[in-house]
Amino acid sequence: MTSGRMELVCPAGTPATLRAAVQAGADAVYCGFRDETNARNFPGLNFSGEELAEGVRFAHDHGSKVLVAINTFARVNDVDLWKKAADTAAECGANAIIAADIAVLDHVAKNHKQVRLHLSVQAAAATPEAIGFYATNFGIRRVVLPRVLSVQEIAALNRAIDVETEAFVFGGLCVMIEGRCYLSSYATGKSPNLNGVCSPPEMVSYDDEPNSTAARLSGYTIDRYEPGEPVGYPTLCKGKFKAGGKTSYLFEDPVSLNAGGMIAGLKAAGVTALKIEGRQRGKGYVTEVVRAFRKAVDAVEQGGDAIEIDRILAGQSEGSRQTAGAYSKKWR
Amino acid sequence: MLPRNSEGRLPAVVRHLFPVFTGLPLGPLLTLSLRSLAGRQPRLFDLLGEHRTACYFIDPVDLAFAFTVVPDAERSIVRVVRKSEAATSSVQIRGPILTLLSLLDGTLDGDALFFSRIISISGRTEAVLALRNTIEDAELRPADLLGLRGALARLVDTGILGALDVARQMAARNSRRKAPEA
Repeated sequence: MTSGRMELVCPAGTPATLRAAVQAGADAVYCGFRDETNARNFPGLNFSGEELAEGVRFAHDHGSKVLVAINTFARVNDVDLWKKAADTAAECGANAIIAADIAVLDHVAKNHKQVRLHLSVQAAAATPEAIGFYATNFGIRRVVLPRVLSVQEIAALNRAIDVETEAFVFGGLCVMIEGRCYLSSYATGKSPNLNGVCSPPEMVSYDDEPNSTAARLSGYTIDRYEPGEPVGYPTLCKGKFKAGGKTSYLFEDPVSLNAGGMIAGLKAAGVTALKIEGRQRGKGYVTEVVRAFRKAVDAVEQGGDAIEIDRILAGQSEGSRQTAGAYSKKWR
Repeated sequence: MLPRNSEGRLPAVVRHLFPVFTGLPLGPLLTLSLRSLAGRQPRLFDLLGEHRTACYFIDPVDLAFAFTVVPDAERSIVRVVRKSEAATSSVQIRGPILTLLSLLDGTLDGDALFFSRIISISGRTEAVLALRNTIEDAELRPADLLGLRGALARLVDTGILGALDVARQMAARNSRRKAPEA
């Protein structure tokens, strides 16, 4: 359980967004390389080695840390790309590497002892035994928690482990066991876990039809939108399908996580760091969300009450539908 | 997809000034500007990868003409075209001119504008995403496009961005006045 100030960990899809997040008050930013070693492998996004080195210098000059996500799973006989990414991150002065693949964790643990290892959410480690395995064998210092635990479960977990925990508080939700998703692979032949991209954009289309717009992935219709209705990015898990004669969001409602109201609870549960999702989002969005959460976290640290926190984060609940996710398992 | 509404569109008085510019060599000027930018910031075009040879049809819905842009670094081409030429492009992006310009300078969040249908896209989604991510990272100012530096660049940026801000305010007032019709 942590007694220090909670760390705000923010997304950086590009060098410009890294600078924006740092200037908006991020304690740490996380980013990845421009290849399939990271789980946000979208065109035009991510960092070269040179850009990462520059980003690390900028962040350190402003008192922020840089965590590098090398969090996809290496392919058989092709681990060198992942090892090289870890070597480059270490050379650039990254504060930590976020990884899930045992080969990557092992490489960093053996060759870059000065770099902290954070266990990626993609490892889906949610028990003291699983986390203990990674701590004992690879010396992980922090685990990014799967978004399936309640605050009470996180508190119990923190009492049973001696590594830091990081919890998502804002952004997109993944319905499967943290990215271990076969839906995208089935529809597109590309895997979030291996290629770093869920619903690859080259297979996404928005097609105008009489009285509606269809969002499709690889030819499958994921959703239809009435004229004027806000649209979404088509992912199979959040698509609207007909089953049993009824049309509904079959797997998951298209809602986003907002656990802003639970920051105090997460602190009390012993969480060390709060993570904002959204490396694919622009710097305008990142700046706005980071600023709001910076104020909220500072208010919690200074003993602010729930009403004050709600007021600070009120602007973040406009627009898309939101949920506190598993942090508040009201069905129990 | 068609843009949702008239949010942020140019007031008629300003809109009527624009056809005059179609008589100017706007395409060649923008082509030169883009090629010059490629000479100074080649990394931006590298970020586009294979999509630098894509043909982007940019349709300011409140103007009488559109543009096609092939952002192929020092071989870039910008043309002023008729709205009917959309079909020949790889990607179509539509929205009010001030909103499209705000995407260039990073004032507005492209995702939010798209999801709320203030701008619309069709065609190759990956090419749009590559362009959007590249522009986001570029943090372009008007002076960058004009190849200016130093005090003159600051002066031009202040002037053009200030004028755009005034135009946006006028457009916003115009939209509010029209709101009951929507």
